[in-house]
Amino acid sequence: MAEDEHEDQKEYRWETGYEKTWEAIKDDEDGLLDGAIAEIIQKAKRQRLAQKAKQNRLGMMRHLFIVLDCSESMSVPDLKPTRLRCTVKLLEVFIEEFFDQNPISQLGIIALKAKRAEKVTDLTGTSRVHLKALESLANVSLTSEPSLQNGLDLALKTLKVVPPHASREIVVIIGSLTTCDPVDINLTIDELKKEGIRCSVISLSAEIRVARYLTQQTMGTFGAVLDDAHFRDQLMSQVDPPPAAKTQHNSLIRMGFPHTKSEVEGKDAPLSMCMCHIENLEEPSELSTTGHHCPQCNSKYCELPVECQSCGLTLVSAPHLARSYHHLFPVPNFEELPFESMPASAGSSDQDRDGGIRDCYACAKALGPVADKSVFKCSFCKQFFCTDCDIFIHETLHACVGCNTIPGVDGLVYQQTTKPGEDDAHPGSSKQRVQFGI
Amino acid sequence: MDADQTTSKEAEASIDLLVIVLDTNPSQHIVRQNPQNLTQILEAVIAFGNAHLMQKAQNKLAVLSCSHHATNFLYPQPRRPVELRQVDGQYEAFSLVEKTVKQQLGSILMNAPRLSSPCESLLAGSMSMALCYISRLQRNVPPGVKMHSRILVLTGSNECASQYMTYMNVFFTAQKLDIVIDTCALDKTLSLLQQGCDITSGQFLKVTQLDGLLQYLLWVFLPAPQMRNKLVLPPPPKVDYRASCFCHRELIDIGYVCSVCLSVFCKYSPICTTCHTIFKSPGPLPVKGKKKKKTDKQM
Repeated sequence: MAEDEHEDQKEYRWETGYEKTWEAIKDDEDGLLDGAIAEIIQKAKRQRLAQKAKQNRLGMMRHLFIVLDCSESMSVPDLKPTRLRCTVKLLEVFIEEFFDQNPISQLGIIALKAKRAEKVTDLTGTSRVHLKALESLANVSLTSEPSLQNGLDLALKTLKVVPPHASREIVVIIGSLTTCDPVDINLTIDELKKEGIRCSVISLSAEIRVARYLTQQTMGTFGAVLDDAHFRDQLMSQVDPPPAAKTQHNSLIRMGFPHTKSEVEGKDAPLSMCMCHIENLEEPSELSTTGHHCPQCNSKYCELPVECQSCGLTLVSAPHLARSYHHLFPVPNFEELPFESMPASAGSSDQDRDGGIRDCYACAKALGPVADKSVFKCSFCKQFFCTDCDIFIHETLHACVGCNTIPGVDGLVYQQTTKPGEDDAHPGSSKQRVQFGI
Repeated sequence: MDADQTTSKEAEASIDLLVIVLDTNPSQHIVRQNPQNLTQILEAVIAFGNAHLMQKAQNKLAVLSCSHHATNFLYPQPRRPVELRQVDGQYEAFSLVEKTVKQQLGSILMNAPRLSSPCESLLAGSMSMALCYISRLQRNVPPGVKMHSRILVLTGSNECASQYMTYMNVFFTAQKLDIVIDTCALDKTLSLLQQGCDITSGQFLKVTQLDGLLQYLLWVFLPAPQMRNKLVLPPPPKVDYRASCFCHRELIDIGYVCSVCLSVFCKYSPICTTCHTIFKSPGPLPVKGKKKKKTDKQM
């Protein structure tokens, strides 16, 4: 309990962030504010990057339930146009991003309607199903109170049977300040804790004690949103895979890598139907020669990744796996340096370059002392980058441009990150890079 | 008249950016065979770049060279304007491209360290630099204007598995930003870049006759990706997306994937060689009496 209070006191430190903000803005010699404003923008951009903690072992195969409040309190228009509509819009983005970053994960949605919990979509690996369900959710009638416990229980029931090597998570988005539960919610929380299911809560109104307690017990995160931009940030932070839970069993999973059959014995492949649409009456499956065939039972699918319906084998393609490697081998953070410390000839092999001109190594942007107060240096390849490239490299590209264009540096990076004892997940990475064959 | 105006306005409101990544590594097979080939490739690329600029006044071009020691921008070079005089009535912008590219490449090749043994071109890195450049221009596009970007890779090198991760990161970034990656292979079929073209819905072409390079470029790579489905282009190659196992580097149909690091193995093993995770449940392992005892001891 004492720990609790200690943390709570820390909580209000955010208020100091608003102290004397006017002092931060100073005009330069010409009386312009551009420089100061550019600096503030740069700092805000960097903040999110720095917050990303370094993780060793991640729960890459995620099974996540989104528990969405659909009670009366979701009709409050403090998030525009209403809480529910704003949430649905953001969830659409979230789901796309989630499957983009976690290619072999599954997701399901549970709605809390009038003290009941209703499973809107089951755990599946395709975004299309969820997006369709979300569309219909945007128009449900919002009445009565939600029941947090019922929602958690329903998610728990499904997640219990998920194979133990997967990371199991619940993200609750709740607008109500109250919950109407059948029995003591602590029983459910204990059960979740025992099962090692990570619960995170995003509250759209204010901090709720029981929700915070839930997240503390299950190693999740708690957030109360300030506005829609803050909400978006909170939601997007759930996209990155969490550190692997202690209870998680590590195992090797059998997977199939289907190949497209274009020719059978010298002839064109015969027309066939795909298994994914065969029972779907709205979009019946079409006869075609293309598709991915399960290497075990030969049934055909038009999309990957998918779990084979007839033999249960998980079917993926190699790039799907590669898509998530960047979580495991992130680009080390760049060093922030003042503009003046950047040598004039950096980023270019030209000798006849006049003194004061400096370029960003990656995008060849001319850097100036006003717009770019600070530059970023990769500690391995010693190249300098502008703020935008720094963010682009770390958030989107996941590969340092300098280290990958200058021969010799490349191997160095991965050797240096593997200092013994520093992190466990990396020792094989340089080897792994070599081992990736095609 | 009205319809004309709207279409022309639409055309004005979109910019086509073409970034050419040119492999200038002297250890390429075709260059070693005949150094003249590089000159010929360069001429073709310049003519092709100019053809792209000619299509629309708003079109933009950038050329990067990927050499054995570094990647450099050949064009544009806003810092070092080339002296220009109109030659033979050629449009200045075109001769600017030609002069800048040739001058830059000349100075890069002169300053390059001598090559003792053949080495690989770091194409994936050059492509990542091209992406940074594109994303910078994308940020600075005025509101209401659309920019379609694509990257054309011209190379005669072999690809190397050590760049696999960078390649994949580049492909997925390009896919996210709607950037099309086209590849013109001058010597060998490149399966990694083939995957990249497939992921970003670009064109892959292996040139069989170097003499007709410009012809190939104008035919396959000049039309914008939006209008390519209306043209008769070479059919997409069959891309092999199977994974290769980390233990024997063989293509496999069914394999085992580590749940922590997603390494691929062709056989079940009790410990992951990549991340040193010990696997707890020997589920699919066909356990016989003796074997089971062994694994128990290890744990």
